[in-house]
Amino acid sequence: MDPTLIGQGLLNGLLFGGVYSLMAVGLTLIFGVMRVVNFAHGDMMVWGMYLAWLLATRAGVDPYAGFLVCAAALFVLGFAVQRALVDRILDAPHEMQILLMLGVALVLENAALVTFGPDPHRVRSALGLSTLWVGPIFVDVARLVTFAVAIALTFVLYLFLFRTDLGKAIRAAADNTYGALVIGIDVRRVYAVAFGIGAACVGAAGALVSAVLPFQPSAGLSASVTSFNIVIIGGMGSLLGAFLGGLLVSVAESLGAVFLAPSLKELVSFSLLILILLFRPAGLFGKGAA
Amino acid sequence: MRWAGLVGVLVLLALPPFLDSYVTTIFIFIFFYGFLGQAWNLVGGYAGQLSLGHAAFVGIGAYTAAMLSMKAGVTPWLGMFAGGALAAVLGAAIGYLGFRFRLRGFYFVLLTVAFAEVCRIVALNTEAIGGALGLYITFTGNPRQFQFQDNRSYYYIALALMLGATGIVTLIERRRFGAYLTAIREDETACEALGVNAFKYKLLAMIVSSFLTGIGGTFYAFYLFSLQPNTVFGIPLSVEIIIRPIIGGAGTVLGPILGSFILSPLAELSRFYFAKAGWSGAHLMVYGVLLIGVVLFVPQGAYPYLRRLFAGRPKA
Amino acid sequence: MVNRRTFLKTTGVAAGAAALGFPAVLRAQPKEIKIGAVHPVTGPLAEIGQACRLGAQMAVDAVNAAGGIKSMGGARLELILADTENKPDVARAEAERVINAGAQIITGAFHSGQTAAMVPVAQQKRVPFLIDISAADPITLNVAESVKKGDQKVQYVYRNFPTTRIFGLRAVQFMTEVFREAKVSPKRVVLMYTNDLFGQTQARQFQAAVKEKNPGFEIVEAIPYPENATDLSTEVSRVKALKPDILAPVTRATTAILMLQELAKQRVELMGIISPGTPGLYEAGQIAQLKELIEYVMDCVPWPNYKNPRTQKVAEEYAKRSGGKNFDTNSGYSYEAILVMADVLERAKSTDPDAIVDAIKKTNLKDPLMVSGGPIVFNEVGDNPNASTAMVQILGQKPVVVWPKDAAAQKFVLPRPKA
Repeated sequence: MDPTLIGQGLLNGLLFGGVYSLMAVGLTLIFGVMRVVNFAHGDMMVWGMYLAWLLATRAGVDPYAGFLVCAAALFVLGFAVQRALVDRILDAPHEMQILLMLGVALVLENAALVTFGPDPHRVRSALGLSTLWVGPIFVDVARLVTFAVAIALTFVLYLFLFRTDLGKAIRAAADNTYGALVIGIDVRRVYAVAFGIGAACVGAAGALVSAVLPFQPSAGLSASVTSFNIVIIGGMGSLLGAFLGGLLVSVAESLGAVFLAPSLKELVSFSLLILILLFRPAGLFGKGAA
Repeated sequence: MRWAGLVGVLVLLALPPFLDSYVTTIFIFIFFYGFLGQAWNLVGGYAGQLSLGHAAFVGIGAYTAAMLSMKAGVTPWLGMFAGGALAAVLGAAIGYLGFRFRLRGFYFVLLTVAFAEVCRIVALNTEAIGGALGLYITFTGNPRQFQFQDNRSYYYIALALMLGATGIVTLIERRRFGAYLTAIREDETACEALGVNAFKYKLLAMIVSSFLTGIGGTFYAFYLFSLQPNTVFGIPLSVEIIIRPIIGGAGTVLGPILGSFILSPLAELSRFYFAKAGWSGAHLMVYGVLLIGVVLFVPQGAYPYLRRLFAGRPKA
Repeated sequence: MVNRRTFLKTTGVAAGAAALGFPAVLRAQPKEIKIGAVHPVTGPLAEIGQACRLGAQMAVDAVNAAGGIKSMGGARLELILADTENKPDVARAEAERVINAGAQIITGAFHSGQTAAMVPVAQQKRVPFLIDISAADPITLNVAESVKKGDQKVQYVYRNFPTTRIFGLRAVQFMTEVFREAKVSPKRVVLMYTNDLFGQTQARQFQAAVKEKNPGFEIVEAIPYPENATDLSTEVSRVKALKPDILAPVTRATTAILMLQELAKQRVELMGIISPGTPGLYEAGQIAQLKELIEYVMDCVPWPNYKNPRTQKVAEEYAKRSGGKNFDTNSGYSYEAILVMADVLERAKSTDPDAIVDAIKKTNLKDPLMVSGGPIVFNEVGDNPNASTAMVQILGQKPVVVWPKDAAAQKFVLPRPKA
C-alpha cells in the first residue's frame, strides 16, 4: 500500500472531521441538556447550507464569513422549535419525541424542496479550489479553513459553557434538572437556548461545508444518521466525545476508502457503532453508563 | 366491543366487489402496513423496545422468498416461512445483543438502525442477490407463485395477514406473556425484582415480531415485483412501519390498524391534492405537520384517545 | 410520425379548421385520450422526475397543437400526473390511481425498481405501459418470458430506452472509435462509480463489454463509492495513485460535483474523463455549478439528435419552459414516449388495449428525436433495439454530440488540453 496514499487519506479524513465534529457537538448538546434526540439535525444542516447559498448568491457574502449569519438564523429556528414543540413533549415517551422530530425533519426537507427545487446547489467561494502542496501530499485550503473554524467554534462554545453564567446554567440543567430548578434557574429558557445553540452549531457546519459539498434537500437524513453515529461513538452528551468522535469517524471512513472498497466505507462507521453500543455504550470518551 | 370488531371484519370481507381497483390498492396498503405495524407493536409497543430497524426483517423475508422462488423454484407460499424464520434469526441476534447489553431508549433505536444499515450495505455489495440492481420477479399471475391476476386476491391476503397478526397480538396480550411485556415497558427493574425474566420475554417478543415482519417481506416482494436494498432495508421503510402504530396508539391491539386507516388514505389524498396544484413536496410537508400535531395533541395515539372520548361521554 | 411532411399537413389542417371558424369546433368535438405519467417528482430524484414530467407535458401540448389524434377525430391527449416519491409501493398505487382516473396508456418511471412495480398493474389491468426511461434489462424480458410460457396472454409492457447492456456495448464501441480517430491509445482506465442501482449496473455492463470486446485498454481498477458520499477526496487520491489515462466515472449529480472538484484540486492528469453513461455530467445546472471544471468531460448517454431540426425546435421551447435547462436524456425520452404513443394511437384508431398493443408491435417510426441506430421499432422482448446512446462532450460550456460521426455536431477534443 502506497504510504503517500495512506498519509493523504489520514489528512483528508482529519480535515473533513472538523465538520463532523461540529455537527455532533450540536446534537450532543441538545441531547445532554434535554435528553431529546434531534432527528431533524441533518435537515437543519441542509438549511444552513441553503442560507449560505442565498447569502453568497444574493449578497455576495463568502460562506467563510456568512456562516455566522447562518448560525444566528439557525439559532432562532432551534429556539423556536424548542419553545413551540419540543418543550411540550419533554416528559413524553421516546417514541413520541422521535416522531415529533421526524415530523419537523419532513417539514424542513420539503420546505427546502418547495423553496429551492431539487437541483443540487453548490456555493462558490474564493477558497473553493485552492490547494497547498507539501511534497506529494496536498492540503485542501477550504477544508483547512473549515477545520480551523470548526475547532475555534467548539472552543468558543466550551468557553461559553464553562465561563458564562448562562453557560453554567445550561450545564447545571444538563446535570440535574431538579437541582437547577431548586437554585432558581429558568430551565425553560435554558432549554430553548441550548436547543438554539445546538441548531446554530449544525447550521454553521452546513454553511462551512457548503463550498466543499454540493447539497440537495434530501441530504438531511444521511447527515442526521452520521451525527447519531458520531455522538454514540464519542459518548452521548459529552462535548469532548462528540468532538473527538467526529474526527475519529471521519478518519476511519477515509482510511476505509483507502483499504476497502470505498462503497464499504459506510460499513466501517456502522460496525464501529455496533461494537461501541455493545461494549462501551457510554462511548469512547463519555463518562458513566448508558 | 367484540361485536363491533366482528362487524368491522365482515364489512371488510364484503367490501371488494364494491371497490374500484385504486381504492382496493389503498386498502391493500392499509392492511399491509397495518400488519407490519402490528408485528412491530409487539416489541415496540407492548415491550416498549423501540426498533427502528424493522425494515431489515422485511428485506430478509423478501429476499429469501424471492431468491428461493427465482433460483430454486420454491413456491413463496413455503418461502414466506423460510423468510420469516431467517428474519427471526436476525431478530433474535439483535434482541439478544441489545437486551443482554441492556441498551435502552435511543441506544436500542440506534442498534436496530445500525443492523438494518449493515444489512442494506451488505446486500448492496453482494452480487449473488443482484447488488444494487436488485431482484426482478417475473409477473405470471399464477396463484401458486403467490401472484394474482386480480387485485382482490391481494386484498384478501393482506387482510388475512393483518387479522392474523392482530389475533396473535390479542392472544399474547391476554396471557401472562402480554402482561409481562407491559410490565417490563412500565418498569423493567421492578419486574426483575419480582422475578420476571425480562430478558427472556423481550427476546421472545422480538422473535415473534421479526418472524411476522419477515413474512410480510414475501407479500412485499410478490406485490411490488422488484427488490432493491435501499428500499427494503432502508430507514424510510422502518419509519413507515413505526409511524402507524405510534399514531394509532402503540401497545394497544387496535392502534396499528387505526393508525394505518388514518395515515395511508391521508398520504394518498394529500399527494393527489398537491400534485394537482403542482406543488411537488408540499404534501410531505403536510404529512410532517400532521405528525407534529398528533404528537402534541393526541400523544397517547388515536385509539386510546377515541376510547376515552367514547367512554367519557355517558358520564358527561 | 410527425416528420416534416405530416407536420406541414397537420398545420394545414389546423389552419383550415381555424378558417372555418366556430362551426368546425362544434363539429369536431374531439374526445380525450388520457395518459398516465408516473415519475419521481419528489425525493432524491426530483430534478430528473420533473424534467421527465415537463418533457411529457410538452409533447402532449405539441401533439394537441398539431390537431390531436386525427384518425380518432382529432382526439386530444391529456396527461394525468403522478408522483412515485421515489418509492415502489407509491409507484404501484399511483399507477392504479391514474388508470382508475381513466388513463388508457401509462408511461414512466425512470427508476427501474419503481417501473418494475408498475408492470403487474399494467398486466393485470390490461393497460399498455410504454416505459420512457428505465434501463434494467429484466423489466421487459420478464414479461416477454411470462407470455412465452403462457402465464400471461399479452405483453402490455414496452420500452423505448436503451437497456443497460446496450449502454455498456456502445460505450466501449464509441471509446474505441474515438481513440482511433484521435490517434491515441490509452491503456489504463479507472472506473469510479456510485454504488447505487444505476452506477453498479452501468459499471458491471461496462466491465462486461470491455471483457467481451477486448478493445486495447483495460480497466485497472473499479472504485465504487457510497451513493450519498459526502467526501471523495480519498477516492480521488486513490485514482491519482493508479496513474490512469482515462477516468470512467458513473456519478449522481452531487457526487459528480464532488469528484470533479477533487480531480482539479489534486491535479490529477488525465487524457480524458469519459463516462460509460451517467447523469450529473451534462445538465445545465451542473455546468453552471462546475464551469471550467466540466469542460471536455465526455459522457455516453442517450441524447437528443440536434441534427434533426425538430429536435432543435423542441429544445428551444424546452429551454423556455424550464427556465434555461437543456433538453437532454430525461426530458428527451419522456417527450419521445408521448410521440410514440401518438403514432401508435393514430394507427390503432382505437383505445382498445389489444389494438394499441398490435399497433405498438408494428411501430416503425423514422427520424426519432433522440440519437438512434435506426427507426423506433419494438422487438420480441418489447424493447427498441435501435435505442442507443451517443457520446456527448462539454465544449464551450455546452453538451455537444461528438460521436457517432453522423450525429456529431462538433469534433471532439481528446486528449483534453492541460490546464
